[in-house]
Amino acid sequence: MNLGGKVMVLKKAKVKAESGGLLLFEKVEDAVRAEEILSEADYTVRLVAPPPTFRMGCDLAIEINLVEQIGIGRLFREKGVNYLKVVPLKGAGRLLDVVKVTEFKDATMVKAGNMKVTFDKNKGTILNVSGGGCPDIPYLSASLIGKKLSDAPRPKDIGFTLCAMMMDRAVVECLELWRKRSTS
Amino acid sequence: MLACGTVPVKDLPLISGRAVFEGEFLSVNGFKVPCAQGTAAMIGGALSVADCLKLEPPQALVVGDTGRGQGSYLLYEFLIQRVSTLSPDVLVLHYCLPDMTLMRKLCESVRSCAKRPLMIADAASMYAAKAAGLATEFDIFTPDLCEMAFLADPDASHPAYINKHLFEADIAKVPELVAAAYQLKSAARLLLVKGAVDYIAEDGKVVDIVSEPNIPELEAIGGTGDVITGIVSALAYAGLELREAAKTSALVNRMAGKLARPSPATRVWQVISQLPAALEQRRVTC
Repeated sequence: MNLGGKVMVLKKAKVKAESGGLLLFEKVEDAVRAEEILSEADYTVRLVAPPPTFRMGCDLAIEINLVEQIGIGRLFREKGVNYLKVVPLKGAGRLLDVVKVTEFKDATMVKAGNMKVTFDKNKGTILNVSGGGCPDIPYLSASLIGKKLSDAPRPKDIGFTLCAMMMDRAVVECLELWRKRSTS
Repeated sequence: MLACGTVPVKDLPLISGRAVFEGEFLSVNGFKVPCAQGTAAMIGGALSVADCLKLEPPQALVVGDTGRGQGSYLLYEFLIQRVSTLSPDVLVLHYCLPDMTLMRKLCESVRSCAKRPLMIADAASMYAAKAAGLATEFDIFTPDLCEMAFLADPDASHPAYINKHLFEADIAKVPELVAAAYQLKSAARLLLVKGAVDYIAEDGKVVDIVSEPNIPELEAIGGTGDVITGIVSALAYAGLELREAAKTSALVNRMAGKLARPSPATRVWQVISQLPAALEQRRVTC
């Protein structure tokens, strides 16, 4: 098989989202405005009536790809859109909030979900990032590796996906460990 | 063999062609991509094995995506439209924005191939396949421990949402997680679970374990798991029986890691550079 070394130009096809998540709103007008903003930003979303178990505010919700929730949350903050919360359509609905810590001789590795961030115990610099599978992770890794924990950008501020959110949790824990150790 | 995924190069168009491993970079069709964590490391691993075994080089299909998903959508769309024409022997799906609808359409297109490709998924392609209930369409998944817990969780659509007690399971619990994942039909035909101990599972049971040489630093190095995915894909492409391909890839990756004399700061391309020596030591032939 040979693809002939081509550069391909294709347009994104519009498909009905199989979402995985719901954005919930207090007011109908917030939901309608949010849908407009997300569509303009090229997110594949849909206004729906939330199932009774998820109903919190108004009778409109937006189906989203659950993975994209941090990028969407940031866009809403920039545009001043109010929303109540994001809920997954299946499962307990809680993001993992536990971490595991592994010690090496001169480094500490923190695991949060599927992400692992390792920092230098003596200098507080980020040595490596591993795990994950979403497309922002290699980009975030390149942005963080070699930087001091205190100076590194927060994955939640520049990433878009749930993997980035887990990376952010690991970075926060690394920073707390580093600060505790430097002050003790 | 067609190895597909996103790379962290903003605005890189969807490109295809033979990839060349050049140490810190991978060159695809004249475009240089950092040979770091993710699709590039996977392709780097596959290339090294293909070179050593003198196989026809894998074709790379990569696109720039830094998280917003535009590149991922182009990749899905290209494969949905063309996979039946390309009809690769082995199709490896790797980093991308997980999208259940598009993964479902892709699997439908794969079913129309004259000869079904061997289907391998890791990273978010594996997340999308599991979340969409399509895991059994795949021949190999290569999860790490957390991702194994994700496959064993009936409700999670992403590892960030796995049940806390599953996340807290240690590596010794892998056989139980494997059994649960197969029960739920959330596993591929073969699972290669990467970790301090590598587990190989088929039909709901662990059939092999690889634990030596034990190099704890490898877990910290971004991309070592991706390299294993590349190695197992190339070995399967070379015709090894899947279980043997999985066991050999776990061993060879560990040996390459040892030869790299790693620290937690080592870069994955330094491990990939040691693959030819590791394959030689293991005397891998097909």
